[in-house]
Amino acid sequence: MKTILFLSIVLFSGALAGTLHGVANLAIVEPYLDTAIGIENQNLFASGEEKDTPQFWVEYDAYRDWQKGGQILAGTILGTSMGGLFGIVYVLSRNVLPKGSDLKKSFTLAAVMWLTIYLIPFLKYPANPPTVGDPETVVLRSVLFLSFIAISGFGAVGFYQAYKRFQSKIKIVAFIGYGMFIAIVFTIMPPNPDEVTAPMDLVNGFRVMSVVAVSVFWVSIAMIFGGLWHKLRPDVEYECI
Amino acid sequence: MSSPTQIIKSKSQVHIFAIITLAIIFAVGLFVVGYDQGHIFSVVLGESAYADLYIHEITHDMRHAAGFPCH
Repeated sequence: MKTILFLSIVLFSGALAGTLHGVANLAIVEPYLDTAIGIENQNLFASGEEKDTPQFWVEYDAYRDWQKGGQILAGTILGTSMGGLFGIVYVLSRNVLPKGSDLKKSFTLAAVMWLTIYLIPFLKYPANPPTVGDPETVVLRSVLFLSFIAISGFGAVGFYQAYKRFQSKIKIVAFIGYGMFIAIVFTIMPPNPDEVTAPMDLVNGFRVMSVVAVSVFWVSIAMIFGGLWHKLRPDVEYECI
Repeated sequence: MSSPTQIIKSKSQVHIFAIITLAIIFAVGLFVVGYDQGHIFSVVLGESAYADLYIHEITHDMRHAAGFPCH
């Protein structure tokens, strides 16, 4: 394996897919964030913590522009980070991913990772817009969220090991096993402790768009990573005999 | 006299250095975007970093949109 080329492919595809994720957020998630933060502002005015003055809105608009721009940078960093994980899993599992092109392998792995470390944890602990989270519970929520992702991810790796050892006829048992395992974990893990007080149409719309935007990341990384691997073949070495 | 023949070998084995590098990038990136509350800048700025929360603020929208727990 050409290590430098491999690392370059992983980091570039992760960074680019993450940037696209940030752009997707800006286009489809931001309107919900703005609405939610607008509710927070109204609460601040009602409680007297802030005053509804032109000065407030000047500062607020500048602050929000800065945050919105930062989202692209955050997307690039998060994408590079997740790209790193994707690259590790890809290179360690490439031989057992479905036969065919690297694009097909890449999409298969992205689909598995999207399901096990994103969608299933999301169903248990869905994304929330501002106004929903209680600052007092953020540590507990972070621990629950990360734990569920880790349990689901490592569970998938464990059942993948079983999948490799099983004969073809009973490989389906590994899928059923993971399904039963994660269903039990899903039931046992405590729920998000925060009560949702924001309007549910806002919360649900935000969650749908959040899923779409994160899915943009997983589709993008599969396409970019698989395409670059196919084109540049970091695994191929030439020998003269 | 026979000319040398070039053969192509596909090698899936990756250097452990690459795996460790990617694992570090994964952990650091995840912490920066999802969990930093002033910790990183506190190395340079001291206690004030926990009040300024620069990284939290700049990653705020992505935290919510990607599903990380926030305030």
